[in-house]
Amino acid sequence: MNCEVCQLKELEVEHIEVREVLRCILHTILFHRALGLVRPKDVDLELFDITYVQCGDVEHEKKINEKIDHFIDRVEKHPNKKNQICLSFYEVKNKQATWFTNKVERHYWEQWYINLNTVQHPKTHSGKSHHPKVVVDPGETASEERNARRTALESSLREVLFQIIKFVNEKKDHVPPIPNLDGVSFPYEITISSSSDSAFGMDMLKRMLQTGHPTMLS
Amino acid sequence: MDLQYGRFEQILTQFLLKSIHIILDSRVPSTRPYSRCREVKKSDKWFNLALGDRPSALENLNFWHRNLTEPIIIDIILVQEPPNSSCGYSLLPTTSGLGTFTETVIERWVVQCEYLRTMTPQSSDVSYKKTYKKSIILLRSLFSMMRLLPAYKAFRKLSSTNQTCDFDINYKVSTFSVPFSRTEEELMKHYSFIPVDAQQGRFAISVTYRDNLSHFNLEASTSFPPEIITDYVGSPLTDPLRTFPSSLERRFHATPLLSRGMHSPSSVPFQRPHSWTSGLHRGVSSPQSQPLAGCPVLYRASYEVSSAISDTYGRKVQDCKSPAHYEAASSNDSYQLSPPFSPSPSPSPPAYLTSGNPVQTRFRSESAPVSIPHPIVGRSSRYISPNSSDPNRNSLPPLSPRFTKHDSSSQESPSGTRSLRKPDSLRSAESSCGMTYLGQKVSRDAKDDSGRFSGLLSSSDSPRVGFSRSSSRLSFQDDLDECDFSCPFIVDDVDTSESQANRNLDLRKGSEASSQAISSVRKSQDAAVGALVHMLRTAPPLRLDSSSYASGFEKSELESIAGAGSGFVLPRKTSDALEELKAYSEMKELLLCKSGSITSRAGSKDETSSS
Repeated sequence: MNCEVCQLKELEVEHIEVREVLRCILHTILFHRALGLVRPKDVDLELFDITYVQCGDVEHEKKINEKIDHFIDRVEKHPNKKNQICLSFYEVKNKQATWFTNKVERHYWEQWYINLNTVQHPKTHSGKSHHPKVVVDPGETASEERNARRTALESSLREVLFQIIKFVNEKKDHVPPIPNLDGVSFPYEITISSSSDSAFGMDMLKRMLQTGHPTMLS
Repeated sequence: MDLQYGRFEQILTQFLLKSIHIILDSRVPSTRPYSRCREVKKSDKWFNLALGDRPSALENLNFWHRNLTEPIIIDIILVQEPPNSSCGYSLLPTTSGLGTFTETVIERWVVQCEYLRTMTPQSSDVSYKKTYKKSIILLRSLFSMMRLLPAYKAFRKLSSTNQTCDFDINYKVSTFSVPFSRTEEELMKHYSFIPVDAQQGRFAISVTYRDNLSHFNLEASTSFPPEIITDYVGSPLTDPLRTFPSSLERRFHATPLLSRGMHSPSSVPFQRPHSWTSGLHRGVSSPQSQPLAGCPVLYRASYEVSSAISDTYGRKVQDCKSPAHYEAASSNDSYQLSPPFSPSPSPSPPAYLTSGNPVQTRFRSESAPVSIPHPIVGRSSRYISPNSSDPNRNSLPPLSPRFTKHDSSSQESPSGTRSLRKPDSLRSAESSCGMTYLGQKVSRDAKDDSGRFSGLLSSSDSPRVGFSRSSSRLSFQDDLDECDFSCPFIVDDVDTSESQANRNLDLRKGSEASSQAISSVRKSQDAAVGALVHMLRTAPPLRLDSSSYASGFEKSELESIAGAGSGFVLPRKTSDALEELKAYSEMKELLLCKSGSITSRAGSKDETSSS
């Protein structure tokens, strides 16, 4: 069974927008892959005029929030970098136990890569203007720029959600049989990597080709 | 082979139902609260997507959608009052501007099973499981897509309880559709979900939607603060005989939908069978139908006037209606179908229909046209008209809600689908027509309506105030009259001269500045007090013992003699006579006791003397 990979469109986000953007994307993907019985829950974003759907599982919501907190901590320590969150779905296959190892093999059948370029724009411009006669309010300019960026980000986020729906629709054959579980029916993991990591690109390639070893590079 | 086909048909049927449920739930505001704590019903577990109670009208889908090869087309229609200016969207050919509002199809969903002549041979045991699994994924993406399209914003504005909107959303479900014009197509985009392969075809969902709704200026404003209306008809502060103001009467005679529906060029295809609408048209044979006044202006204005009353009314009706209705609907829940939820590693296979041969029932050629109206929601302007092409229309019970309370036969009638909604204006106007006991009446009638109109689509479960309510203003008056008689402290019930005198006395004593209504309330209280006082005064005196009785008797005898001598005769009543008789009997017993005691004493003395 092959592993389908989806590279989502890169988003340029500010630090305060990271949480909402990540929650929106992760929950949307999870909703489409939580094929057990769910009671969908609509959630409105605060910073954007977008409504996404959660599968209503409190435990998984908590797990996602923890990962997002971890990611935000990392971003705050290393701002202005490109980061990647990988949401992987896998099947557990028990390998035959040997004398020294009792490995549980994970077979990844789908991986989603969320690409975020976290930026931190200056809040206000410097005071001097090239045209002293023209009074320019730096606060208004910054606010307008922020609004323009946010509008563009909202549009991009909407494109990402459409991209998820399109991918989910196009690729269905690789999805394993649904176990008789409520809510999230397939095990998954969320890993975080950034461009500062030395093995950033190699790790991504490695995971794409890998079929055995579990990877935790967070 | 039949087993597999039965499973396929079952999955297809449920797929259609779930798709329509998702679409309508995401576009038609519903006042039905979805309780997350409630146990998921069996019918709701299909495709592992629990949405809550299915609209009862969908239970009749099998009734009118017999041919599974036919697509189901759901039009989401934006209803808006055109602006006064000459320019604007009202002149667009896309809208059917009739009367004072315009309708624009902003979304068209097509859900169907594309039957293929040749199918690749597959293991029958795997095919329906894979089909089911992929259908789950497809419906998930449909659910998400509903929230990304532009029409979702309009739906959210309408659903907002603290906002009033100058537009409304209606829908039409049918097996046919009027093609879009070239201009319309240029304004719309198309998206098709990847079909899901099935045993006999492919499950397909597609949508044609308006990408930009900004030029419609869908405005929503915060609701007006609750306005206390002190002089509504029926208020104790007003004259009970107050007539309607002329403005309200004008509203009742607004342009009926009938004429609009009849003159609409697009109404012709609506009269074909295999469709239900949310009241976009009316039947031809019902010219005497009540003018339901679908004008959005009407709803807005009436809401402004009597917002306080209609809010309470609407909310109470909604609260009372929802549980009653959905209990009725759920009682007929999935008569044969059972969703797949059995424990198995693969997607649980759906249960096969064991009762009867579903194949034959599905492909019956004839089908009864069904009109399932769209429920009225809160403040939005809605208009519903019955489809006269529905032959089962006359099978509905009579209009008066009082006498249809126990009419359970209409609940499960598959043809009980008449659009009988009344716009909020009429309802609010009625609520201002002297409803002193409106709270009780509304809740009672709401339950009646819910039981009666179970065929109505309930995705947006607004109060169902259909024909029964609009034409039963007399019944409302009857209700009031009966309630008047049952209430002991209303002046009209105490029809005695004494109460009248007391009332007059109290009126004289009462404040001149108080209104007539307050005086009437006081009248009733004073009347009761006066009646009580009168009773006490005219009650015969109590006779506690013989001495007092004797003295009283003598006294009364003397009085009577004196009275007789003087020629004044006191009127004697039966109660007096009974009292006197009682006194006589007591005297007799006393005398007998005394004589008995004397006799016994005499006997004992004789015995002692003789001994």
